[in-house]
Amino acid sequence: MPDALQREPIVEMRGIEKAFGAVQALRNVDMVLYPGEILGLVGDNSAGKSTLMKILSGAYQRDAGEIYVAGKPVHFKSPHESRDAGIEMIYQDFALCGNMDVGQNIFLGRWPLKGLFVNRRKMYAEADSVLKRLKVDVNSVYQKVESLSGGRQQSVAIARAISFQPRVVILDEPTANLSVMATERLLETMLELKKQGVAQIIISHRLVDIFAVGDRVMVLKRGENVGDRYTSNTDEREVLEIIVSGTREHALSADEARKS
Amino acid sequence: MAPTTTTSLGRAPSQLVGGWEVGLLAFLAVLYLGGVLVNPTFFGSAEAFHALLRDTARVGIIAVGMTFVIVNKDLDLSVGSTYGLVAVVFARLFAPSFLDFGVITSVILCVLLGAAIGLVNGLLVTVLKAPAFIATLTVLFIGRGLVLALTQGQAIYYSDKAKEHPFFFHLGETNVLGFNNQILIFAAIAIGGALVLAKTRWGYETFATGGNEQAAGYAGIPTHWVRIRAYLISSLCATIAALLSAAQDKGVTPLYGVSWELTVIASVVIGGASILGGRGRVIGSCLGAAVVVLIDKVLREGWPITRTVVIEGEQISVSAKYTLPAGAVLVFLGLLLVVAVLVEPYLVRRQVAARFWAWLRGRPPPPAYEIGGVALEGVQTRGAVTEISLSATWLGKFLARRDALAIILAALLWLTGLALRPDYWWNLSNTFAILLNYTELALITVGLTYVIAAGDIDLSVGAVLALAGSTAAYFLKVLGADPVTAIAMGLLAGMAAGLVNAAVTVGFKLPAFIATLGMFYIARGLAAWLVAGQQLTGWPEGYNLLGRKVNDILLHFHISLPEGILRSVAEVVSVQTIWMLLVALLAGIVLAYTPFGQKVYATGGNIRAAAYAGINTNRVRFMAFMLSALCATMAGLINIAYFRSFNPVAGQFRELDAIAAVIIGGGSIFGGYGTIIGALAGAAVITLIRALLQINVQGFAMPQHWINVFIGGILIAAVLIDIWVRQANILGRLRARLARRKPVVELPHA
Repeated sequence: MPDALQREPIVEMRGIEKAFGAVQALRNVDMVLYPGEILGLVGDNSAGKSTLMKILSGAYQRDAGEIYVAGKPVHFKSPHESRDAGIEMIYQDFALCGNMDVGQNIFLGRWPLKGLFVNRRKMYAEADSVLKRLKVDVNSVYQKVESLSGGRQQSVAIARAISFQPRVVILDEPTANLSVMATERLLETMLELKKQGVAQIIISHRLVDIFAVGDRVMVLKRGENVGDRYTSNTDEREVLEIIVSGTREHALSADEARKS
Repeated sequence: MAPTTTTSLGRAPSQLVGGWEVGLLAFLAVLYLGGVLVNPTFFGSAEAFHALLRDTARVGIIAVGMTFVIVNKDLDLSVGSTYGLVAVVFARLFAPSFLDFGVITSVILCVLLGAAIGLVNGLLVTVLKAPAFIATLTVLFIGRGLVLALTQGQAIYYSDKAKEHPFFFHLGETNVLGFNNQILIFAAIAIGGALVLAKTRWGYETFATGGNEQAAGYAGIPTHWVRIRAYLISSLCATIAALLSAAQDKGVTPLYGVSWELTVIASVVIGGASILGGRGRVIGSCLGAAVVVLIDKVLREGWPITRTVVIEGEQISVSAKYTLPAGAVLVFLGLLLVVAVLVEPYLVRRQVAARFWAWLRGRPPPPAYEIGGVALEGVQTRGAVTEISLSATWLGKFLARRDALAIILAALLWLTGLALRPDYWWNLSNTFAILLNYTELALITVGLTYVIAAGDIDLSVGAVLALAGSTAAYFLKVLGADPVTAIAMGLLAGMAAGLVNAAVTVGFKLPAFIATLGMFYIARGLAAWLVAGQQLTGWPEGYNLLGRKVNDILLHFHISLPEGILRSVAEVVSVQTIWMLLVALLAGIVLAYTPFGQKVYATGGNIRAAAYAGINTNRVRFMAFMLSALCATMAGLINIAYFRSFNPVAGQFRELDAIAAVIIGGGSIFGGYGTIIGALAGAAVITLIRALLQINVQGFAMPQHWINVFIGGILIAAVLIDIWVRQANILGRLRARLARRKPVVELPHA
């Protein structure tokens, strides 16, 4: 993203620290994200990827460091506060109620009202328009979520996130349980979102997916930022090398890496 | 977001009623017509139809509330006793022979009581995280105990005073339009409940919480409040029903609402709600209530038959009525519950009807729902126990054991008894009397430990005890069978009950509490049915040797021991105690030292991991259920031998004692823990508490009715201590917080 430097970052995290008891999960981690950018967050297990994202979404509280959203310092105490600031996290599981239909799930917990009753006409119409905007096809907004395939369920979860009109979407291992076809469809959906200017962070073990849609990839190792590259001037081999043997001392930012 | 045209969406599916309700209505019509055909004098009148609606009203009102609870994936077993308790409290408040309050004061106090019960249920299952079935079962027993205690087992009537308050008491009577006002109130509550559940945010929140509580929580739904709210609605519905019954009957008996929880839960489940949560409709529940009440009526009313009697050599046809004996209705309702619970997951969710219809037309079947990941089984162990390393000495090691509490408690309670009545407590005969009481409970507890350690629950142990005793007594007394046959038949009956428990739980993958709850009613009903609700007594003494002292047995075989220590021991030790100890020893060794025992713990600790590790978890759970039934059966066979008679109330409240004993003894209600030594110590604690409550200290003894209330309190305390102290290690966390002002390590999910 060549023009990234001219734009103001939508999210900036500086010097984030987090410890769980004796375990230091994050050490002085920085991260920036620009509007419309897709950032891949990679690293080995327990590198601190999910912890960093949970701090961003307010599910965990940081021990030190600052977070700026659109230039303003923020301190989210719960996921609801980050949602108000336009940050949506899509969880691997536990996001949908299988016994309810697509429309009801997209508006889970904030069903529109008409007097005392839920305004179903409005709910289903808006759910339908969100799904159309994402270009995902479920047969009907009346379908129960448990009768959908895994990929479609993931699409409904994303549609639900989109319906909040977020500026940032965080996807935690979105392709982990998906078939090849479903992954393709999900990546298309992500590109569609990008077109609409939504910044996305994708946590994934699958570098292929990140290289297919991502603009930039950031590597965490044992709670430290060990490298940052534009996907256009790196390859999977280099990223793997950073994951395995990168150190804080030799870490380069994406722009430094491009210049060198 | 520009609103698009809604035309492409098609019609939204109906939320209030569906195909299931239509089917129920048709079934109801067929059932009623069947009733009319079989017994036109009873069912063929408008009066009978009116009576059906009137009797459905009260059950239906409670079913409306229960629908909210069941859709939330919870269960409220306390409604029957709430109904009874509120009616009794109303009587005590209102009746001139007691407090003689005004009608408005009485009603307000009753509503407050109902709300309080709902709140207690709700807080127990949400904030305190006790499993719904165990929390509300305890409230059920406590409520029943209170009903007995407050009525002293007597009926209370206030029909004279009721005449002074026509407005309230008219609610339970026939109005000017010719039908009972209760039907009107029922209709209002049903319509209100149906609209709230299907069309408002409250209802949507209920469905979301029942479908996926975690997702609902992430979406900002206050799931605790949603569940507490449902319990409040359920209790308040039971309160309204109780007040209507007070208005109708102008009095109360201690039997009000007995086993109504069964009727109501069966109604809701027949009405299409899923015991696994997330599905249900109020209209369906109301129709279900009508079906259950009608079945109940048909069963109780009986069939008119023509009996041929011979009088003075002449044959005369006499019309008579064949009615089912006491207990039979309970059996059918219990069976209905177990079958109805299977309907939703196996027929509705698998779209059997739609698939069959597609198959008939030669079309491809509709897409199957992905049921693979849906956990039908109950809760699993939550949280790991942080090792409390007090010290390496033997005392520290002992205190770190999960059964330490029970052993210390048992010793302390025994010393308390000694302190209260030093003259009587330390007495060989008293000690062995306690030991005798202990034997029955301990025997049941041994089997139940396996079930609880394997992560299941068996609520039917007391009822299976009664069933086995009743069967043996029936064979001995009515059929004149020899003792060996009677024992074999008793074992057969008990094991059949265990087989049904195991098959429904393991085979059909239903939660253990609902399957064994069904068996709780079925076995108790069968026990009463067999003996026609009466006490059987007087059979060959040979059988009774099972429950005699060792010396009596020796004398029976004409062996007399010489005077001395051996003889005095033989005079007080019973053969059943020896048998129990043998069984406990064997079971203890198997559980602690054999691969099977380890498989039980693995299954209870994490059933999925155990299955991945190649353990046949189904077989383990099956064996545990069978073992539990076997132990309860042996206890039943010994019970009737000891008393030389069978009493239909044998084993009542024993499930409460036994579960409490296992939990106090270190078992976890979530499975994975429990030892035989602990369970024996837990059984000793319960026995000693009962004995202590019964001893007469300076002329004061606790009334019998209050003891069950007390034991209920102990059960819920034991469950809460297990969850909060042993599992969540709240003491350790507090200590850590005080010491370091820092929480204990909570590992991040990487």
